[in-house]
Amino acid sequence: MAVSESQYESGREPASEDEESVEARVGWRYTVARIKRDTTARWGLYIVTVVLFVAVYAVVDSNLSRLTFGVASDYTFAQLLPIFDHPTHIPPPGEGTQHMPPYFPLAEQSWNPLPAGGTIEHPLGTDHTGRDYFTRIVYGTQVSVFVGLVSTFIGLTGGTIIGAVAGYYGGRVDDILMRLVETVYAIPPLILIIVFTVFVGGANIWYAVLGVGIAFIPVFARIIRSRVLSIREMDYIEAARAAGVKDRNIIMRHVVPNSFAPVLVYATLQIGVTILIVAGLSFLGYGAQPPTPDWGQMLNISHGYMHSNVWLSIWPGIAIMITIMGFNLFGDGLQDALDPRIED
Amino acid sequence: MKLLKYTIHRLLQAIPVLIGISVITFLLANLGPGDPVSLMLQGQEHSEELIRTIERRYGLDRPLHERYVTYMAGLLRGDLGQSIHYQRPVAALMMERVGPTLLLVLSAYAFALVTAIPLGIVAANRRNEPSDHASRIAALVGVSTPSFWIGIVLILVFAVQLGWLPSSGLYYPWRPPSAYPGIDGHLELYYESARHLLLPMIALGTLQMATIMRVERTQMIESLQGEYVKLARAYGVPERKILRKHAFQVAQLPIITIVGLNLSTALGGAVLVETVFNINGMGRLFINAISTNDYQLVMGITMLLGFLFVLGVIITDISYAYVDPRVTYGERE
Repeated sequence: MAVSESQYESGREPASEDEESVEARVGWRYTVARIKRDTTARWGLYIVTVVLFVAVYAVVDSNLSRLTFGVASDYTFAQLLPIFDHPTHIPPPGEGTQHMPPYFPLAEQSWNPLPAGGTIEHPLGTDHTGRDYFTRIVYGTQVSVFVGLVSTFIGLTGGTIIGAVAGYYGGRVDDILMRLVETVYAIPPLILIIVFTVFVGGANIWYAVLGVGIAFIPVFARIIRSRVLSIREMDYIEAARAAGVKDRNIIMRHVVPNSFAPVLVYATLQIGVTILIVAGLSFLGYGAQPPTPDWGQMLNISHGYMHSNVWLSIWPGIAIMITIMGFNLFGDGLQDALDPRIED
Repeated sequence: MKLLKYTIHRLLQAIPVLIGISVITFLLANLGPGDPVSLMLQGQEHSEELIRTIERRYGLDRPLHERYVTYMAGLLRGDLGQSIHYQRPVAALMMERVGPTLLLVLSAYAFALVTAIPLGIVAANRRNEPSDHASRIAALVGVSTPSFWIGIVLILVFAVQLGWLPSSGLYYPWRPPSAYPGIDGHLELYYESARHLLLPMIALGTLQMATIMRVERTQMIESLQGEYVKLARAYGVPERKILRKHAFQVAQLPIITIVGLNLSTALGGAVLVETVFNINGMGRLFINAISTNDYQLVMGITMLLGFLFVLGVIITDISYAYVDPRVTYGERE
């Protein structure tokens, strides 16, 4: 990337800081400062932070099993987020919400409407078994975030190893590895993941996580490989080789760290893609199994109650959308922040 | 001539990938704990002897590599084996179902291209103005929303609430109108099939639209800063013409690549959208096959979808080479 220094300097606001050289535009402190200033990245960071907080809170909460398995009368929204007062009377499912007008007045409401929500006990109503929908949405964050992070990590690790080895050694090793990567890449991820999950493991969230991770190894392997190809020719690699450093150490110490910035951005964006895929997987019934609350799975169930409470099909989708949007915004912002060619 | 050579070269390059797909699919389908024989006999009284007989009939008693060779030999003859669940040839089953899926995927792409390209151009041309921000937000929402949920929302609004459009099924325009009761004439059939296709098309196409729009915007911005645009401006070429002719043409090249690579997302998304809209395409066939442990059918579908993706990438590569004179044939980047 031969960009002359004058291009960096052009159009700089002289008032901002001291004279900045190109070096001052990379590195952690600069990146963090850029993220703070960039509206996109900041909003992404806010959303991701809230989502992560909600997910972690759901782990820390000691009532986890009761909340996940229980029905509405077992717990309240207030117990989940203690900033709200505990209501003393907890109505049985349905009671106290019947007077609520449906938000979507259906033309012919032949079935009993499920509680539409809007009360402090059930802000988003209850599902078909009377479990509080808000709590389930909150707990759904856990599965999505967990799956998103872990399977992206699997893809990233696998992809880094394969890409680095293929790019560094080149020749036949590269050919074989890249053909393998292309092959995995050619099978649509959702299809590959379902076949892997069902035939290798049986519908189970752990196999789903592993399957998603494996399915996304190719994308990371390709990026790392192309970075490694350009880094391999650098003088400092030559120097390390001349000094007798082992190949494995050159890859781990020099090649991988130097190719990491674009991969980091990609990984952030990939978390969003992963959550999207897992939502689809769960919607089809091959992700998290009930009673573990999961957004995709909730949409699958609510599909059958479309006529009695439309909102049950809306909330999980919004949750998925906001979460993915957070990671996408953050990834976009990170990309700008890590790219020294982009001016503030 | 060069182009023909390049085409042949690309097709030859695809062979190891196609073989790889068959190996991976075969291993996944055959190494799993799911046992097709016990599935077939579910709920029936059976003896060991019966299991052996069935295993022999489907060739399940032979070692894995032998079965793979037999399978591949069949594949080359167009025989993908027998579906255990449907008791019919896999190839015939897939032939029936591939039409709706292709119709859905292609129309989703058409929708995506028709909407994304103008939006991307407008956004690039009015950079940092409200219309740019609006289309960027729309693109962000588009890449962040699951296709099946878009489908659900569309059904809720346009089918359940407003009752304007049907919520499930598909009318196939290539069938004779007499195949559908109550439909007379081709025109009515086309109208019905368009009505049924509209919602699933949008559901599947939104992600593609958002992706293409983002690329289009970036490319147009880059293209508008190109030397040739500056030159055209210096010559006094009207801004509209610069946009339409000079900047536009160059910016379209990466779109071709995106369309090809996104085919795998689209084919996967078709599984979900077909499920939501009850469309009897490959996607639902796949889900049925998975849930009945019909490994022969699963193998067939996975392989076909993989092949379709490879074919799509080759077609886009070739059309890229055809459109862009700068592509050096037969060399890797």
